[in-house]
Amino acid sequence: MKNFFIVLIMKLLNIALKIAGKQGGNFLGKIAFDWNPEIFKYFKIDCPIIAVTATNGKTMTNNAIGYVFETAGKKVISNKEGNNMETGILSTLLKHCSLTGKIKADYLVFEVDEGYVPVVFKDLKLDTLVVLDFFRDQLDRNGEVETLILKINEFLKTYTGNLVLNSDDPNVSRLGKANPDNENVYYFSVEPYKYATKEMKEAGEGKFCPFCNTRLEYKYYQYSHIGKFECPNCHYGDNKIYKLAQNVDLKNRSFEVDGITYKTKFNSIYNIYNFVAVISCVSLYNIDTKIVQNALSKFVLNNGRLEEIDINGIPTIINLAKNPTGSNVSLRILNEDDDEKELLFVLNDNLADGHDVSWIWDIDFSNLNNVSRVVTSGTRAYDMAIRIKTSGFDANKIEPYLNLHEAVNSLYKTNVKKYVIANYTSLQPTRTEILKLKR
Amino acid sequence: MKELKILYLYPDILELYGDYGNIQVLKYRLEKRGITAIIDRYSIGNNPPDFNSYDLVFAGGGADQEQGILADDLVKYKDNIKEAINNGVFFLLICGAYQLFGKYYKSADGDIVPGLEVFDYYTEAINDRKKRCIGNIVIEANLNGKRTKVIGFENHGGQTFDISNPFGKVLFGNGNKFGDTEEGYFQNNVIATYLHGPLLSKNPELADYIIKHCLDRKYNEDIALESLDDSFEELCRNQLFDRFLNNN
Repeated sequence: MKNFFIVLIMKLLNIALKIAGKQGGNFLGKIAFDWNPEIFKYFKIDCPIIAVTATNGKTMTNNAIGYVFETAGKKVISNKEGNNMETGILSTLLKHCSLTGKIKADYLVFEVDEGYVPVVFKDLKLDTLVVLDFFRDQLDRNGEVETLILKINEFLKTYTGNLVLNSDDPNVSRLGKANPDNENVYYFSVEPYKYATKEMKEAGEGKFCPFCNTRLEYKYYQYSHIGKFECPNCHYGDNKIYKLAQNVDLKNRSFEVDGITYKTKFNSIYNIYNFVAVISCVSLYNIDTKIVQNALSKFVLNNGRLEEIDINGIPTIINLAKNPTGSNVSLRILNEDDDEKELLFVLNDNLADGHDVSWIWDIDFSNLNNVSRVVTSGTRAYDMAIRIKTSGFDANKIEPYLNLHEAVNSLYKTNVKKYVIANYTSLQPTRTEILKLKR
Repeated sequence: MKELKILYLYPDILELYGDYGNIQVLKYRLEKRGITAIIDRYSIGNNPPDFNSYDLVFAGGGADQEQGILADDLVKYKDNIKEAINNGVFFLLICGAYQLFGKYYKSADGDIVPGLEVFDYYTEAINDRKKRCIGNIVIEANLNGKRTKVIGFENHGGQTFDISNPFGKVLFGNGNKFGDTEEGYFQNNVIATYLHGPLLSKNPELADYIIKHCLDRKYNEDIALESLDDSFEELCRNQLFDRFLNNN
């Protein structure tokens, strides 16, 4: 009875919020969860629940999975806006359930913060968990990566649902051994792309085998510590691959899986991993590959995640980067483009960003390809300027501005192509400031 | 041409908090002055280095689990390291490396990881694993008689005791322990500190103090370092001092 009233009140609150023109975000879930932490048990869900977790790429992959199902004519409920902690997921459920807790959909697709998987799925039955990658991220807030991995590993010890894992991330691949009785483990992998290297190019984790502490050996690195690895001692990493992306062509934005060519709107190796994860996941639900092809060829995210926009004839690429790997991936895209360009890097150190900005020293700024000027901004504009100067880029071509408006105006003084990288709290203000210039 | 030989310890393990930036800053400031920076790296499985043949030895902080793996390796060089320190080789040790050079590190579970025992201090983790000294930090150090503000970021669970001579006085942040007045350990040719940031990136005076110390010893002179354009560093320091010390 108690839960019925909680749901009823949340429904009324939601209507009130709508009238007031507010989104709500985590608000409903926060109240309901504080009221009854067992509320997840109340929902009656008879469709598969799919979850995506990772350090980087959750929103992209989650939304792409939802988009593929929708293209196939299915009803999907998803936290597309990225409210990915227990309160955010609860809010989404509360908005879509009946008063008796019934949820009518073909699929529930959630991105879940890597620290909250065990909390959310204590009482919700998870059908498929997709895990993309684990990187160092806001160490002052999240702690070390290892702690997060151990939490998820513990949860997986008794989990028997589908587990879709990145075989090329030693931090993720190890989760496949958490429950030896789970026969539903599916690994995906990507063949080396044009810029794959023999040596690790950027900061990464997982240098040692998690099972026997031997140093891992790599055949190739795609980016950071993502690549084909194997433990020379216990052969950890030698997985049977369920879906393998081949013939990756970033210039033409295409790749192949099982001999079928997929086109996308994105041009980063890191998106190829996201999409082969999507393909692995939806194939478990027998979605026609023609529909998957069609959906992936159209899928975009207009929220500053590798967003390409035109500002009065000046091509502009905006990307979120909240940790070293996100930034290094953005710079890979920049360096793989030979056109002349200018870079704006916006760095804030607010609570949600992490107060520690030392991670920018794990970004590889050496040999920026055909970058004629760098503008920095955000609350740590000067830290960023020092970082880029020290990498060898001419200090006279670096302009720091604490004020974002001044930074963006200075950036668009010229007609040269722009690359914009912004961290968590700076992304939307930067995007808004840039869009203001559009005539 | 003058040169400085730097030994960078466990670059693939002690590299969690961007401490590698210290090496980049040193290299940058040396090369701008026409001095060659020779940077050798040593990690588990490499040929043993002779610490005495270097001008500067650097080590940073790492993940707890990986730090345990290397403690066993580092202890093999205990005598060689002691000798190098006595000979005046400069040691810059950050966070995990700072702790490893003391008597021991006692974890939250009570396990004792023996240190190199090069210095007399020791470190004990707080029982509550979630409690750590985390945040921006400003200290005042005495560099050749000159009071200098040093700014960085601390992130450590370990509390370090029995410091005979601290690196600096805490103006903002925690220091060696929660709410401490002292930070780090200092002697003529050793700076051991919890400051990430990386340490040298926003403290050009400190970077030059280390460079000058190493060059003076190596070439037996009192060198006047050519000044560099540190305008970004100055802007950054002023902005952050204003935020942290004046609450603006």
